[in-house]
Amino acid sequence: MRTLRSLILAAATAAAAGFVFAGTAAADSVTVYTAGPAGLIDKLAAGFKQKTGTDVDVFQATTGKMMARLQAEAANPVADVVISASMDTATDFGKQGLLLDYQSPNAAKVPDFLKSANYVTQGISALAIAWNPKSGTPKPEDWSDLAKPAYKDLVTMPDPKSSGSAYELVAALASAPSLGWDLFKSLGENGMIVPGANDQAVTPVLQGAKAAVFGAVDYLAFGQIKKGESLEVVFPKSGTVIAPRPMMILKSSKHPDQAKAFIDYVLSDEGQAMVADAQLMPARTDIQASRPLIGDLKVLEVDPANDRDATLKKFSEEVAKN
Amino acid sequence: MPSRIPGPRESGRGGSITAAVVLALGVLVVFPMAFVVLQAIFPSIGAGSFAAPFSLIPQTFGDPKLVRWTLNTLALGVCVVLASTAVALPLGALRGLFRVPLAGLWDVAFLVPFTIPPYIAALGWITTLQRNGYLEQLAGFNLGGFLFSFWGVVFVMTLNVFPVVYFGVSRSMASIGGRYVDAAQVCGAAFWPMFRRIAVPLATPAMAGSLLLVFAMSIEEFGTPAVLAARSGFLVLVTGVEQRLSDYPVDLPGAASLSLVLVVLAGIAFIAQQRMVTGRDFRTLTGRPASGGPRPLGRWAIPCSALFALLALAATIVPVAAVLLTASTRTLSGGLAWGNFSTLHFAEIRANANGALDALVTSFLLGIVTALLTGLIGTLAAFVLVRSRSRAGRLLDFLTVLPNTMPGVVIAVGLILAWTQPWLPLTAYNTVWILLLAYCCLLLPYPVRYATAALRQLGPSLEEAARVSGAAPARALARIVVPLILPAVTAAMLLVFAVAARELVATVLLAPVGTRTVALFIWRQFDQGSIGLGMAMSAIAIAITVTVPAIAMFWLRRTGQGL
Repeated sequence: MRTLRSLILAAATAAAAGFVFAGTAAADSVTVYTAGPAGLIDKLAAGFKQKTGTDVDVFQATTGKMMARLQAEAANPVADVVISASMDTATDFGKQGLLLDYQSPNAAKVPDFLKSANYVTQGISALAIAWNPKSGTPKPEDWSDLAKPAYKDLVTMPDPKSSGSAYELVAALASAPSLGWDLFKSLGENGMIVPGANDQAVTPVLQGAKAAVFGAVDYLAFGQIKKGESLEVVFPKSGTVIAPRPMMILKSSKHPDQAKAFIDYVLSDEGQAMVADAQLMPARTDIQASRPLIGDLKVLEVDPANDRDATLKKFSEEVAKN
Repeated sequence: MPSRIPGPRESGRGGSITAAVVLALGVLVVFPMAFVVLQAIFPSIGAGSFAAPFSLIPQTFGDPKLVRWTLNTLALGVCVVLASTAVALPLGALRGLFRVPLAGLWDVAFLVPFTIPPYIAALGWITTLQRNGYLEQLAGFNLGGFLFSFWGVVFVMTLNVFPVVYFGVSRSMASIGGRYVDAAQVCGAAFWPMFRRIAVPLATPAMAGSLLLVFAMSIEEFGTPAVLAARSGFLVLVTGVEQRLSDYPVDLPGAASLSLVLVVLAGIAFIAQQRMVTGRDFRTLTGRPASGGPRPLGRWAIPCSALFALLALAATIVPVAAVLLTASTRTLSGGLAWGNFSTLHFAEIRANANGALDALVTSFLLGIVTALLTGLIGTLAAFVLVRSRSRAGRLLDFLTVLPNTMPGVVIAVGLILAWTQPWLPLTAYNTVWILLLAYCCLLLPYPVRYATAALRQLGPSLEEAARVSGAAPARALARIVVPLILPAVTAAMLLVFAVAARELVATVLLAPVGTRTVALFIWRQFDQGSIGLGMAMSAIAIAITVTVPAIAMFWLRRTGQGL
């Protein structure tokens, strides 16, 4: 009996210990679901707590995982504020009537195309070429350079099937008259690989197994350069796509006032400086940053009517071959 | 000769144990699984709506790539099973039947692959073998062509999962003990016929059980095939599941339907396993002290040790070394140059000691509690399942494999759907309890398989003797059965601890707000592009995670309950 009894006892004690570290959201805290970057949300949460005394409970994942969780918990929502890396989430949620209307007084300097009645942009990332100068290849200037023989078998790209911004890049470049699908066909023939998400595309370039990433997330690359990695960010001449990160308050929020205060804080001078410090482009045009801003880039638009499935299928045929 | 177990047994004994097992499986497995099925059928179940049933099924299953993905999945599962058998059966047999030098060391070394998250192991192999990787920097050549192929995936996955078979086989062979082997030799049998006709058949239940686990694990594992072979166009069913959940728009019904295909594949494997073990129950665990214990290896000691060392090199030392090299170099692009070595990343973790410590404590507690709970429930479940020969019993048995066949991320979706139901009086969702429920669900298969195999060797006679002498069923179970199968269950609990302490796939989706675990901490570093920092935390986590099983093994050896 003793063995079983002690096993049960141990399990029960351990389970009880589990209760102690079980955390539930405090009554007046605000719960933020965010699609990274992790360092930024930690700083924003600490700054907000210091300013207002309100705790910020954070859930962080990729946009897809965050949306999966939001959809699955829809019967009993937990989040107050959602910060996603995809503008479509905000427009779709708005259409479904899930969002609370709110205009932050601090949003005055945010350009109109980055906000609406029920969402406002936190910061903006763009896609770029990330090139390793130690790779022994010439520095690329435009997307089409990476289809040249100098980069044969040396280019990686994040998978548009699992990254919304990579899909937009494909859609935008494929519909650009000067580039079109020919660009992707020749990239495929030049041995470009599509190994997975952004970090799986970047790692081989850092170690020198490959020379350049076609469509790397710019702020992550800037962050790695800051850490001393041998990498350069090139914004191609023919333009690129941007990914604004919309912030929205859910209508189901039980703490709308705290949620509004949090949005105000992210859009304050202090909050936007933290956004700039994370190497993102701040949403407000009057905030300084140490990187190229939206006015310095040629921004390509994606036709909202573009057929996503057809584009991905065509991409598979031309490049990924899967 | 060992005798076979008699036929079907009367039911109604130990009814309260059966009830407890049914209840536990109901809460841990059936409740979330039911919502995965509901999600596959009703697209808007998350919002509580039963609208448009089956509306998305044709779209999901109309995908022409599905057949190829399914065949790829099967090929991968079968090849990993074969490769794991080839690696782990001989070594497990040696470990169980003979006195292998440094046996305890090899056991700990073979636990290490289990404590390394699969995505870290894959990244370790990539940074080692790819063009300009650590191997090329040290030795001047690379094996990128091999690594980024189907066989590369089989290689890496086998090294990740073979411990399941190794521990299953070695514990089972050891409990067969020297007795039958000696008897065979007394009767004049040479080693190989003895091995083939006595040892292998006797260990079949354990082997079949652990191979079923390996198959289930390799068809649901996402990271390794995705990072190694997606670039060469080799995609599996889980890739499809993951693509549906990786960016906006997400497709929960599609992900749920695809994972049901995995369940069907696992069902086939389950039936195959049942065939393998039917009529192969041998009562070899008699509770009597084994006569001679493991036999000496004699002049084979050195070659056998070399085999163990070779496997430890590939499965443990190379991935750990890659993790350590990345963790202790300033930048990945700087390579293995003297000036690039630095303790910077470890210093950063010390600077963030609170966050890191927090994550370590949470993961540790979760790992220990999960191991104890699954060990307890698994033992009871195996006890009920082995004694029952009814159809309901086989269904319950399959329920205990089910969670291992589904991608963790889908189980996480099922758990959220289930535990956010408005009619529940209280919910585990958004508390740390949901993680415990998830880990218990995901990892219950290990103790159940290991305990089932041990119980099949035990046979009912000892327990019957206890019952005849007037012991209640629970008492007979506790005094007779549990002590005899404890080595097998302990091995399973160590595996559970190792996995639960580093689980990521379900955790990413389920973590209550503000909760940090080791895997989340590491994942956040990678997500920010801080590979060195992530690897430094991995190294610390692996080192700490291995100490618990190492101490447990040492203690069991001291008290004579282990090997």
